[in-house]
Parts: sequence; C-alpha cells; structure tokens
Amino acid sequence: MIAVLRLTRDARFRWAVAALFIAFAAAIPPLAGLNELANPDASAKFEIFLGTEALVLALWAVSYNLMLGYSGMVSFAHAAYYGIGAYTVALLFQKLHLPVLEGLLVAPLVTAVFGLVTGMIALRAVRLYFSLLTLAISQVLFSLAFNDAGGVTGGDNGVHGLAVPDALNDYTTMYYFVGAVVALSLAVMFILTRSPFGAALAAIRENRERARSIGINVRAYELAVFTIASTFAGVAGGLFAVFQQEAYPEMLYWTQNAQPVVIALLGGIGSFLGPAIGAFVYTELSNLLSTKFSNQFDVLLGAIVLAVVLVAPGGLASLPRLFTTLRARLRDQAADEVVESSGESIERADLARVVRIEAIHADPIAERGEPLLVVEGLSRSFGGLRAVQDVNLVVHAGDRHAVIGPNGAGKSTLFNLITGRLRPDAGRVTFAGRDITGRPPHVIARAGIGRAFQITMIFPKLTVRQNLQYAMLAHRGLTVRPFGLADRMFRDEAMELLEAVGLGRYPELAAGQLSHGDQRAIELAISLALGSRLVLLDEPTAGMSAFETQKAMDLVRRVAQEKRLTLLFCEHDMEVVFGTARTVTVMHMGRVLTQGTPDDVRGNPDVQKVYLGELEEEAVV
Amino acid sequence: MTASQLLLTTMGGLTNAAYLFIVSAGLSLVFGALRVINMAHGSLYMIAAFIAAVAANALGAGLGFWGGLVLAIAVTGAIGALIEIVVLRRVYREEHLVQLLGTYALTLIIAGLVRLIFGPNLRNTPAPALFSGNFHLAGDSYSVYSMFMIVAAIAIAAGVYAMLYRTPLGRNIRAAVSDSELLSASGVNVARLFTTVFVIGAALAALGGVIVAPSQAVTATMDADVLVLAFAISVIGGLGSIVGSAVGSVIVGLVISFGLQNGSTNQFALAFVFIIMVAVLVIRPWGLFGTAEQ
Repeated sequence: MIAVLRLTRDARFRWAVAALFIAFAAAIPPLAGLNELANPDASAKFEIFLGTEALVLALWAVSYNLMLGYSGMVSFAHAAYYGIGAYTVALLFQKLHLPVLEGLLVAPLVTAVFGLVTGMIALRAVRLYFSLLTLAISQVLFSLAFNDAGGVTGGDNGVHGLAVPDALNDYTTMYYFVGAVVALSLAVMFILTRSPFGAALAAIRENRERARSIGINVRAYELAVFTIASTFAGVAGGLFAVFQQEAYPEMLYWTQNAQPVVIALLGGIGSFLGPAIGAFVYTELSNLLSTKFSNQFDVLLGAIVLAVVLVAPGGLASLPRLFTTLRARLRDQAADEVVESSGESIERADLARVVRIEAIHADPIAERGEPLLVVEGLSRSFGGLRAVQDVNLVVHAGDRHAVIGPNGAGKSTLFNLITGRLRPDAGRVTFAGRDITGRPPHVIARAGIGRAFQITMIFPKLTVRQNLQYAMLAHRGLTVRPFGLADRMFRDEAMELLEAVGLGRYPELAAGQLSHGDQRAIELAISLALGSRLVLLDEPTAGMSAFETQKAMDLVRRVAQEKRLTLLFCEHDMEVVFGTARTVTVMHMGRVLTQGTPDDVRGNPDVQKVYLGELEEEAVV
Repeated sequence: MTASQLLLTTMGGLTNAAYLFIVSAGLSLVFGALRVINMAHGSLYMIAAFIAAVAANALGAGLGFWGGLVLAIAVTGAIGALIEIVVLRRVYREEHLVQLLGTYALTLIIAGLVRLIFGPNLRNTPAPALFSGNFHLAGDSYSVYSMFMIVAAIAIAAGVYAMLYRTPLGRNIRAAVSDSELLSASGVNVARLFTTVFVIGAALAALGGVIVAPSQAVTATMDADVLVLAFAISVIGGLGSIVGSAVGSVIVGLVISFGLQNGSTNQFALAFVFIIMVAVLVIRPWGLFGTAEQ
C-alpha cells in the first residue's frame, strides 16, 4: 500500500492504463460475442481473429521496442527474425511433420541463433552503420527465402496449409492461447527492462562513452538485447504461423519493419506497454482502412510516423503530457513545468557526509605509497601530430597527482590512453600490477579506474539519482542481472551521495535539465560513485565559478583522503593545482618536462618559461 | 568463361555501375553535408523513372526522353526542396534514429502515392532514338543505350567533381562537410545551402531514375531495390565520399553482373553484394574512402 502511495501521478496513470488494457484484451472474445448478438452485421469470429492478430503484433512490436525505445537501436532486420520464426514452425511441420505447437517451442531457439550470429556482424558497426548493416542482413535473408535457397523454403509461394491442433480449432481458444504466450513473453521482457540489465541499456542509449567509462561492455549488451529481441520476434513469428497457418517470404522483406516501428511509435517508445496498446489501435485502423484503400494505407502509415516524429515523439503515451503542455500554452503559461537548477549545488556540499558514504570506498589494492599506476614509454600520434611522446609516469597509491601543461600539451590524450578510450601506438600502462595497455574502457573502469570527463558526460534523460545509481550498479558488475528492480538498488547510497554533494534537491529531475555547474557536480559524483581506487579528473572544475571550484576541490581532496582514493587530475587553474596536488607532472608538446612536489615545480625555471611564465604575463596584462 | 563472355559481363556490370553511381552519389553528397541518411532517396529516383516512362510513352522516344528528363528533375527537385524545408530542418538536431524514421515515413508516403497515381503495373520506356539499337564489337552485340549510360555517368561524375572543387557553392559544401557551425558563423546562409545540397541530391536521384528507365522495367518497388544497393555502395565506398561512391558502384555493379551470369549463383547475386558490404565493414567500419566518425 505504501509502495502504491509512493508512486508519482505519472506512474499511477501508467499502471491504471495498463490494467484497463489488460482487462480489455482479456474481454475481447465475450465483447465480440455481445457485439454479434446486438449487431447482426458483426462477426464475432472475425473480431476475435483480428484480436489474435493484434496480440501477435503486440509481441512483435514490444520486442522491437526493446531495441528502439530501450536501447536506441534502429534495426531493419527485425521482420526477418519474425519471418524466420514463422518459417521454422511451417517448415518443421511440412518437412518433419512436427506439430505446430512443438514447432513454436523451437522457433525462438532458431531466431535466437540467427539473431546472435547476424547481430555479431551488425554490431561491428555503431548507430547509422549498424542500421545499414541490419538492412543488408535482412535483404540477404529475404533473398534466401524468396529464391528458395537450398530448395526448402518454397520460394515465392512460401509454406501453406499447416494443421492446427484440435484443441485450438476454435477462435476463442486460439485467442486465449496466443494471449497467454504473449502475456508470458511480455512479462519476461517487462522484468528485463526494469532490471539492472535494463539500466545498462538505458545508460548505453543515453551516452555510450559514459556507459563504457562506468564499466559497461557496450557491445556485449547491445548484442544481448539484439538477440533477446530476435528471440521474442521468433515467438511472435511462430504464433503467426500457428494461427495463420502459413509463412511467406514477404514477411522478411525490410519494409515490413514499418509495422513494428509504426506500432511502437504510435503507442510510445518510452513506455513498455505503449507498443502493445498501439498494436490494437493499429490493427483496428488497418482493418478499417486497408480493405478499401490498400494504396492509401501506406500513405497513412507514413503520415502517422511522420506526425509522431515531428509532433509527438512520445507517441500515444505522451498524449496526456502533450495535452497539458498545449493547455498551458493556450493559457499563455510556461509550456513545461521547468524546475530551474541554480547551478550552485556544489556550494551546499556536505563534506562530513560524503566521507561517511560506504559506497565510495574501494577495496585497497595497493598499499599507500606503492606504485599504483605505472605508465612506461607511452606514445600516440594523430597523423603527423605526436600528441603524446614517450611519456613515463608513476602514480603512487594515496597520492594526489596533477598533470599540468599548456593547451595541446597532451594531457587529455594521456588520460584517454590510460582509460582505454584511445589505443597507444607504443608503451605500456600497468595498474595495480596488471597490464591494461590498450584494453577496452569498460575493462579498465572495472579494474578500478574511475573518470570525470573534461566535457560533461552524463546520462541526460535519466534522473540525477539514476545517473549515480546506474554507475554504482555498473561498476560492481551487477548490470548482468536480468531481474530485480534496478531503481531500488543503491537508491539510498545514491541519495546519500546526492545530498552530500549538494544535489539533494533534484534527485528526480532529468540530469540534462540541470544547469552547467550542477551537471559538472553530477559528473564529479559519478566518478566518485564508482568507488574506484584511482580517480582521473580531466579539468574537474571547468566552467565553475571561483567559489564552486574551491568547494568542489575541497570535496575531492577530503574524499580522496578519507576514502584512501588516489587522484590523477589535470587542471588549468594553478590555485587548484597547488592547493590540491602533492605531486605535479608538467607536460609540454606531448612530453614530460619535469615532475616533483608543487614547490619543486614552482621553482623550476623551465616550467616557468613554458608555462607559468605565460600565465604571469597574462595576469599582468 | 570465354573472353567474349567476360567482356559482355563486364560491360553489363559497368552499365549497372553507371546508374548506381548517379543515385548513390546523391545519397552520399547529402549525407556528407547534412549528416542525414535520406531513406527517401530511392523514392525520388522512382518518381523520376515514372515521369520518364510516362513522358516517353506520351511524347515519343525522342522528345519524350529529353522532355521527361527536364520534367523529372524539376518535379523531383521541387519535392526535394519541400522535404528538406518541411521535414529535415526539424530533425537535424535530433538523434539519427529520428532522422531515419522521418525519412522512412517519407518512403512509405511516396511509395503509396506513386502506386495511387501510376497504378501497380510495370512500364517500359523506349530509349531515345539517338541511342537506340545495337553495335557490334568483337563478334558480340552491345546496346548503344548501355554505352550512353556509362558515358552519362562519367560526365555526371565530372560535373559533380567540378561543382565541388571549382565553384563557390562546392567550396561551401565542402566546408559544411567539415564544420557547418563554423561555416554558419562565417556568414554563409547554411539553411539555404542545405536546401541547395538536398535539391542537388534529389536531382541526381532523378537523373539516375530517368537514365535507368529505358534499361529496365519501371515498377513501384524500384525505390527499395535501388535504396538497398545505394546503401551497400555508400557503406562499401564510405558515406560522404564521391570517389567512394564511384568505386563502390563499380564493385557492386560487377558483382551483380557476374553473380547473375552464372546459373548456379544467380539466386545469390544480391547476397554477394551484402557479403562484400559486411566484409568491408568488418575490416574498415567507415568504408573504403570514408573517414572514421567519433
């Protein structure tokens, strides 16, 4: 009861719509019967048949939305897996006389294998190129089915005349059977989307680079969701074959992807059940229009997609919000309920509190004073530019180590080489005795190197709290769990950290809505939330005011000390550097110029010449 | 395979490459400057092919072809401008997902309208009288029109190259490719430039559609057929690179021609194209002549 009360208005609305929808779907056969009694023109059989079609489409569209809405992937191969699912049932029946219900158990296994293998190829590329590759794969699969490759697929005719088991030889029973399979599949996917695994997908969708740096193996997760989606497309395709008793090559054709796309967009890609509701709307719409206007139907579909893309990107699910926005606009009010963040959160940071947070604590993997990070002979060129040349650097456990140097000295490149964002041309990076040279970013992050970026790298559409929660989950390797509620995990720890860094007022705001300074604070908090042994901060206070800078660096210093974190940071603000660092390395033109205590460096004439001198001249001017 | 078969098949491949280059150059040009994959590119090509077919059948092979060419470019260019101004301008700042879906919606709309206006039947287009007939070379007969297609593609390639590297417009386009915001800051009307580029892209699609019409049946599915190949070419050659489009077109044209030539492989001619595309992407994910994107 308390849990229900805690739900926001939006969430309550969603649950109410879901309950209504499920009740409606369950009541379709009796409703169709009543309609037939009242209206002699109506055919209950036909309406139940349409309902069955809608159920299958619902499953297909929700599985598509696992990629589109939850992971931000546009695939043109999803129809192919749907078709393969149908073909599996049809061919097993035709060639091996396997009953269709047994074929239905095999279909998802077959499409899972197809999804895994083709996904491994398609995910060699990202974003746009990924989409184009899925298109290519889809066309290859279509042409194999259409051209009767291997002489089994039946060519352009496909496979027809499957026998339905006696038990299902009735529209109503078939409807409830399909409904049960669809409901079970949706339940599995629903659990998945709310699990830590789903949290990792959301993180990837929002910011791939950041997802990597908190320890998520982006490609593995994308492959997993691609395979899962194709598995459920196989269930949907198998169900299609069971109730339509056929499979044909056009099912695989790439333009068929319009169906799940339109349905998902119609229902809202941001909601789980939206596409399922969209499937019923779509089926009714196509039934009303396609028989009379089959040509115009495509135009209508296109117009719907275009309208949704241009006007209401949230689909039907966003209509209530769109309505509120419109009403507010009509009344000449601010369109959105904008909660302005002041950008001064860090000023409210509570140092004593940060220090108490246990989530930040990392297992000691090196004794204080021992070398933790060893960089040897590291080099990297871009074309003719030698950004980093033969750099040697040792960061000792427990130290606060600054890297300074004029713009273009190679500091950010060095950080990118250490964290795996770039691969070195030569040299070696060892962390806690382990060679991490050229390893991918997520491996290095999981090994215990956290990072704050120079440009703000957060998950803009996730809430501030989720930004930290998901970082904590990912870094501990918990995002492999496909069950459990991600939003309940590390909730208190995340809140505690938010309060401590002064962001406690905005836990439920989308992080991207916050002001620049507050986003910097999130950036910093993410790097601390990871509980890494070594934290790399690339200009942590860029864009902060003088007071914010001081407060932020107090925080960093205090946390590092109490939690025995090791810091490696680069910074332009000399006050910050000399106030925080115990060791300073000076870089110039990609090389290490000198290294020592702040006093050594301050007194070094070379440094003054290349770096401090410049600054003093500027100060004089 | 005999020497004469080899020559015939190669010529067939280059004829394919000719129209594929014209189409994919437009796709690539638009992507380079606007960073948008125009899924409706094949639809513009199809519109042009239908206009060419109707004009050639109505006005006769001579006037009809050239008149159809001009009309097709005008109509397609106007539709292109409309698409850019009404749809694309609103999605430049969105994720690529939104752009893909938006232009995908246009392919559905245009395909439906084309079927509505021109009907579902396929149409044949007579070649212009000037280029009809065959000529003989080394004992084999070749169609004059195929030669025309190859020559036209080379001329268009030269034209696009000259436009990009010899005109102020081309200079602006190349600047937009590397940094459109900087270009905007230096006083160029980038919005108008983008419309121009998109119209040029649409005109190239139209040229491809008109030129291809006499060489194959004009159908209501030719939008998807060419789009898929143009994607393969752009991916193989590298999106945004005109040289890449040329090389990719020749590769794809030849693979299809040689694949179809052999009875045991003709089912898989298209599959070969995509296998090559996959192979290129696995080795060089940004294509042979493309540049890696961050």
